This record gives sequence, C-alpha cells and structure tokens, in this order.
Amino acid sequence: MTHPNQSILALYAGRDLDWFTRRRTERHLTHCGICREEVQAFASSRQGLTARSELPAIRWTRLAIEMKANIRLGLAAGECVRDERMAESFAPFALLSNARTLGACASVMAVVAAGLYLQRPAPVAPSEFGGGSAVLRATANGIELNQGGQTLSLLHVRSTDVTYSAGAQGSMRAGYVDSDTGNVTINNLYVQ
Amino acid sequence: MSSKFAILFVAGVVALFAQESPLDNSVKINLPPDSPLTLISENLGESHVSPRGSAVVLDLDVTLTLHNSSPNRVRGVTLLVAAQEVTPGGKASVSVPSLDVGPNLNFPVRINLRLLRPAQMRGGPLVQVNLDGVLFQDYSFYGPNRLDSRRTMTAWEMQAQRDRRYFKSILAAHGMDGLKQAMLESLNRQAERPRLDVQVSRGPTVASAAVGEHNARFAFLRFPGEPVEPVEGWAEVVGNEARNPRIDVHNLSSQQVRSVEIDWIVSDRQGKQYMAGSVPASGPEFNLKAGSTSRVLQDTALRLSRDGGAPLSIAGMTGFVGQVEFADGKVWIPNRESLASAQLLGVLEPSPEEQRLMDLYRKKGPKALADELGKF
Repeated sequence: MTHPNQSILALYAGRDLDWFTRRRTERHLTHCGICREEVQAFASSRQGLTARSELPAIRWTRLAIEMKANIRLGLAAGECVRDERMAESFAPFALLSNARTLGACASVMAVVAAGLYLQRPAPVAPSEFGGGSAVLRATANGIELNQGGQTLSLLHVRSTDVTYSAGAQGSMRAGYVDSDTGNVTINNLYVQ
Repeated sequence: MSSKFAILFVAGVVALFAQESPLDNSVKINLPPDSPLTLISENLGESHVSPRGSAVVLDLDVTLTLHNSSPNRVRGVTLLVAAQEVTPGGKASVSVPSLDVGPNLNFPVRINLRLLRPAQMRGGPLVQVNLDGVLFQDYSFYGPNRLDSRRTMTAWEMQAQRDRRYFKSILAAHGMDGLKQAMLESLNRQAERPRLDVQVSRGPTVASAAVGEHNARFAFLRFPGEPVEPVEGWAEVVGNEARNPRIDVHNLSSQQVRSVEIDWIVSDRQGKQYMAGSVPASGPEFNLKAGSTSRVLQDTALRLSRDGGAPLSIAGMTGFVGQVEFADGKVWIPNRESLASAQLLGVLEPSPEEQRLMDLYRKKGPKALADELGKF
C-alpha cells in the first residue's frame, strides 16, 4: 500500500488540499489506521498553533454588539438631521451612491479574498524533474534539498561571488567567502 | 474609545510575537572526547522558529568558536549537519578549507541553515552537528570521514598550495604590478565565466525513453602526467537533461587507486562551454588496481539551465580527470599550466584558495595579498 507523504497528510489536516487530492486521501484514510493517526496528530498540533496565535482575552461578541450599537446610533443621528426634500430631489444620486458603495465594498472584499488566498499555506508543486524523488538545486541565497515538500537549505545570505558545483553522485556545493568570518566556507548538500 | 484601540494594539503585538519563537534545544553540537578541536562557544544569533501554515520553518544562523587543542596547524574542517526527521535521504555539511590555525588558537565556523517541516513536533533536537574531519598542515587527518572529507579537503589543500605557488612566482618574477595584473585576470575570468543553473536528482530514471533521448559520447581532455586516463564514456541526453553518466577509466600508475573524479563540461549549439559538475567514483565497489580498467557510474539526472532559466540544449560533452586518490591517501590534481593550456581556467570555478585571495585583493589591496602570500 502506498501511503500519502507527510506534506499531503499535513495539508489534509489543515483542509488545504484541492478537491481531487482530498478525495483520494480520504479514500486512503478509510482503510489506513497509520495515516489516520498521523492526520490526527497534525490536526492537534495545528490546533495548538492556532491557539497560540489567537488574540488573548478579547470578548468578540461584546465587541461586535458595541460596534453594531454604535453604527445604529450613527444612522439614527443621520436620520434626524436629513433634509427630506433634498433627499427626494437627489434620489437618483443616492442610488448611484449606493451602487458606488457596493462597488467599493466588492473591491475591498476582492482584495481581502486575494490576500487570504495568497496567505494560505499552499502545497509546494512537485517538480516534474526527479519524478517525486529528492531534488537538489541552487536558489537565490543558498542551495536546497527538496524532498516531498520538506526542504533543507544551506544559506549564504550576506555573501557575493558564490560558486556552485554539482556532483553526479547526488550532491550540490556552494563556495563563498563569509563576510563575517572572512573564511572560505563551502556548503554541501547530499542526497542518498 | 482610545482604550479599545490600546487593547487592539496590544493584542496585535502579542499575536505578532506569537508567530515567532526562539530555539529551545533545537541544535546539538557533538564533538568526540578525543577531538583535536573543542567547542568554545555557540552563538545562535538571530536563529528562530516560525510557523508557516501547517508547517514550521527553522532559521538557524549559528557561529561556533572552535579551539585547536592539537599541536598541529589546522588547514580545514568539515562539520556534518543532520536534520534526519526532515530529509531522511539527505544530509548537509559545512566545510572551511584554506585555514591556517596554529595550536591553541580559536577560529569561527558559521552554519546558516533553513529547514521547513510539518508542524507536528517530536522530541529531540532538530539539527545535530557532528565533526566529520579535520585536516592538518602535514596532511594528517582526524575524524570519522563519513562524507569522504579527507579526500576533498586534501584536494583543496593541494589546490591552495598550487595556486599560492603560482601567484608567488608571479610576484617574484614581475613584482607588485605583475601580481595586480594576475589578480585582475582572475577576477575578470570569474566575472565572465559562463554559469549554469544545475538541478540534481538521484536514483534510477524511468525506463521508457523520452522523445529525442540519445546516448551522447564524452570527448576527453588529457593532461601530461595524469595517473588515470579516461577511455570512453556516455550519458543519456534529452533536451537539457543528462542522465546516468558512465565513464571507463584506466589506471596508468603503479599504485592502486581508491577514487577518481571526472570533471564534466557541456557545450551548447554555439560551442560555448559550461561546467556542469563532476562524476566521482569511490567506495568499496570501485576497485582500480595498477594497470586495470574500471567504470565510473552514477544513477543521477542533471537538469541544466542558463543563468536566466532558459533550458540549455546539450550539444556536446567533455570530460577530464580532476582528481585521483591513491590507496595510501595521496591525491593527484592537474597543475595550473595544464588547465591553462587546455583553456579550462575560464570554465572551471576557482579553487577555494583562489577565491579567498581574490576576496583579500578586492577588500584590502595588493599589499595585503603579497603579505598573505609571504606567510606560506
């Protein structure tokens, strides 16, 4: 039986998989206790993380009630001072204004939705190269080993003039002069 | 009203800081009790762990201060960095060659690492750092040598001596102006050296042949005095991918050879040459007795792109012997004249020592470089 890898299970636990992969993973989980346990572990650690990131001790319900009350108060005050005749004569503009407001709201919502979409933890698209096995590559500031969505990188952040070389036994090397220590440093990654 | 803003501001700051947490026992440095190096300090700098979706990112920027407690001068160190939970099939190392650390002196080694893994926490340190080897001035070696560090660091030290000898001879023959000229040539060569973006994948490739796949033959460069000669070799080539290089080599020397490294150059349709990598062979399965022939073989795929990301169409392949290690641990490398006459200096990356000397010249000028050369 082929088990989904750790990344797929982690993304499944976080409900971040696309529909097709989710269905396939669900089918596997119905008859695989090991993976079910993995998913439960991911889900519980995710809840722990979420709990750590939440804002402490804010009564959201009370805050929402207060905000609604403030809005109603503002609307009521507006009604008191509104000139009825002016409102009638500018009715078409009011309609236009409502349309503008709707448009503005829609734009804001679109921006927020796009932001949420970009922020969501997206699964790393598996490279066609390597057929799913580990791949070594040079990146903008280091060398990287990618295996099933998990990565190990050795970085050379503050150094320029970096030389890279690949070894056909499955290795990648980056050599540079470390700007802090002044020593030549050679980072190596190996895949077995 | 202002108190509400204050609450929201404080809550925001708390939430922001909850995103990142410092490292707690995430790194373990292991040096053997009889090691010639001892750990003086371990500075974790700005290392931190931060959540990213359902995953965790560990940014490790650690500077180790090591002490040479041996009576010999240290020339190089290799540390093995293992993050076994993250990459079960992979490992990393950080080497510092071109050192000149006397007895009872300290020196820094910096490890800058990032790893991304699922948030599910398990016990034990995330990263373990072990000593793989120390090379001394007299080419003696200490360490478990799991990464073949002895051969690699010996070759770097021999390259260092070769390149220092070259620049010293220039200084002796042509003075400071000649040294400046030689350094400028080195810097220009490195600036103009065609670079490749190489991706490496290990393991057997799919059996079915891709469209356009063919066996490409290596052309070989020969150097005078080389102890091993390449006889013939091939690799499967399709588009910008080269797979499974296999090269037959013949031992011309009277000694048993423990390992051979063939350097691999590819050329595009315009005839421009690029350094693709090296094809090493070592270990118990590689046995090259005096006068015998053996095969260097690797189950690997290399994907080659130009600097800008455009795929490089492989039109030709050239190989030459870059390193030979004999059974007694001695190492042979090509001399600088051979590399220059084969016009390889503009294709190969500089040795670590040449890189260090160029950096010294750039930052401190020719006088500092001449002083440095005078130390050896």
